[in-house]
Amino acid sequence: MTLVAVFQDSIGLFLRMFRLALHRPWRWKDIFQHIVQNGIGSLPIIAISTAFSGIVVTNEIAYHMDQALHTTSMIPGFSAQFILRELGIAVPALLLVSKVGASITAEIGGMKITEQIDALKLLGINPVSYLVFPRWIASIFSTIALTLVAITVTMACAILIAITRFNFSFLEYINTLRHFVGTNDLLCAITKSAVFGAVTPIISCAYGFRCGGGAEGVGNATTQSVVTSTITIIFLDFVLTYLFTLFL
Amino acid sequence: MTGFLKEVGGLTLFYGRVIRTLLTTSGNITPVFGQITQVYFRSLGTVIASGIFVGAILALQFNLVLSQYDAQTLLGGLTTSACVREVGPLIISFLLAGKIGAYTAAELGTMRVTEQVDAIECLGTDSVQYLILPRFLAIVSGSVLLLVVGLLVSTVGALAVAHWLCGINPLQYLVSIPRFAGPGVFFAGLFKSFVYGVIVAGVACYKGYTASGGARGVGRAVTQAAIYTNLLIVIANFVTSSFLDSLREILKSLSGVSG
Amino acid sequence: MSIRFEEVCKSFGPKTILNQVSFEVPKGEILFILGKSGVGKSVTLKHIVGMLKPQSGRVWVDGSDVGAQDAIGITAIRRKCGMVFQQPALLDSLTVLENVAFGLKTPQAKQVFGTLSESEIRKTVVEKLALVNLEDDILHRRPPEISYGMQKRVSLARTLAPGPQYLLFDEPTTGLDPITTNTVNDLIFDLSRKLQVTSIVVSHDMGCALKIADRILVLDQARVLSLASVEETRRSQVPLIRDFLRETLESENRGHA
Repeated sequence: MTLVAVFQDSIGLFLRMFRLALHRPWRWKDIFQHIVQNGIGSLPIIAISTAFSGIVVTNEIAYHMDQALHTTSMIPGFSAQFILRELGIAVPALLLVSKVGASITAEIGGMKITEQIDALKLLGINPVSYLVFPRWIASIFSTIALTLVAITVTMACAILIAITRFNFSFLEYINTLRHFVGTNDLLCAITKSAVFGAVTPIISCAYGFRCGGGAEGVGNATTQSVVTSTITIIFLDFVLTYLFTLFL
Repeated sequence: MTGFLKEVGGLTLFYGRVIRTLLTTSGNITPVFGQITQVYFRSLGTVIASGIFVGAILALQFNLVLSQYDAQTLLGGLTTSACVREVGPLIISFLLAGKIGAYTAAELGTMRVTEQVDAIECLGTDSVQYLILPRFLAIVSGSVLLLVVGLLVSTVGALAVAHWLCGINPLQYLVSIPRFAGPGVFFAGLFKSFVYGVIVAGVACYKGYTASGGARGVGRAVTQAAIYTNLLIVIANFVTSSFLDSLREILKSLSGVSG
Repeated sequence: MSIRFEEVCKSFGPKTILNQVSFEVPKGEILFILGKSGVGKSVTLKHIVGMLKPQSGRVWVDGSDVGAQDAIGITAIRRKCGMVFQQPALLDSLTVLENVAFGLKTPQAKQVFGTLSESEIRKTVVEKLALVNLEDDILHRRPPEISYGMQKRVSLARTLAPGPQYLLFDEPTTGLDPITTNTVNDLIFDLSRKLQVTSIVVSHDMGCALKIADRILVLDQARVLSLASVEETRRSQVPLIRDFLRETLESENRGHA
């Protein structure tokens, strides 16, 4: 089955990545180019999406708090926790899967079916270190950076809603918030986003390298890679969340 | 910017055309059922796999917060309510966009660039009715149906986490569900799923139907469809949430007056 | 009974594709439209079936103005015109039988032929496949399972099924090997004569045109450069036509040598 094969390939690719990371050179120019193309290119959509989700989630939490505890005084703590631990990380990760992950599979798959990968091999260039490694490093960096942006935007919108709709003052919000979230949460967010950023390009590349059967094959591989990456990220999110609850 | 406005205009006209065709069509609707089952079974595994873990994650997160207030008895209700009203429709529409949306855009795009759409038109068949309508209806109804499935499995996932990892009595968990997740909540979730389904279906069909420029053009249509869908869904999330909020307020004030 | 263009103009953005193009195709004729790539040959065909509308000027099919038709009128015109696309454009999800039968099951076809039973449809399909030299053993295969040349011929059979009076070919031989090209050309010629239909063939292959056309129309820079019989075209002194002719002669000579 392809799914098993893809996971095997992915694990193989992962090990290669760690080995390559210990070696020089790192090809900073390529990495930088991918960060600009995929990372900064995704900035607008992530900023817009997380802004809206910040507004919605605050409203939702207010509604639920009102129902459960008959008070809205917990909005700052609850929303900050939820944004920092879950929303601000999962939303950008899932968006990046469908944008960057899909484009990586399409790109590598396209190279595969037009025999560019074979051409690289004949030229004595290792496709993994040439194609995958820069994308991998770039993805880790840009996912972390974009997650921090997403958290900031989401929090800003949440605060805005709390002030305008639920009559908190800015200082009041920050003071309440400080009891609930700390540096730990931020570290968790960075760890999670680094893991998600590392997983997406690997799975996408694994699908890309397995491509066959013309343009249609690339299309199928792209769809499958998005779905597999999404489910993998949701699964890892669960595992990491659980691990963090043990230590927090 | 003009490119963006053009897309918005084109998409709006496309929706108009689909709705007009839907209202005037006299053709048989059997292909629709075929498409629905296809959408449904293609995505079922994905929805089940992700649904379980989404439920589990939400239960973990809510438990963490609720334990600070000693309110863990409310876990079931809160998790289910969040799943139905917010997270479920979102995740399912993201998955549908990635799987069925991309597939539909690629399929229709290929038909367009290989002149199959033109051939259908020239043989005297309305291509919107023949190609778009069944896919459109299938994705919309699939979105709503899959929410129900996703909800069931997410409850299973959340229940498992609540029982084994948080030490909450399953019965207590189940009893608290109706306290928060009443009919109104389910209506809200289904309504959102419907709206997101309309977005996924419309954007995918529109981008595929209007693709041009060979295989490369089809690829471009597919990626653009994914981006536009995600963007429109988060905006729709905001709009539908506000709409449902005001609806609730109105209903509340009405019942307050009558009661 | 003819197709007539009256000073048709069409431009896409700043680019003029057709500039005051006028010509008429009488019944039973095979007209070749030649020209370099991107000169508006396919655009001309799309005007006939109403997939494009002229910015000024008129396109007449059997005395009705295509640009002025509503949806029902357009469908009626499309029923008369069978269009053969550059690619086979068969629906991959349907079998060969279903593809060829597609045009027999539309609401308009039912008005003309009445509701056909499955066996009647099958009979018509087999008939049309025989016209393009295909056996009925491929009826239940799907397009990706048969060769490209066969797909082209099935596509032609599909166009023939509803019994069109005009056949419009959009570069029917582009991308085909020489042998299949010959087969397709012979088919165009035989069908036009046998079924007494009017054919318009868009092509950039002067060789084919000289072999099977009645008249040849050459488009250049959005205008009609020449519209003349095969013999006249052969003797033409217009530089572009001479270039086309030289190319053909050279390949013929290579073939003989």
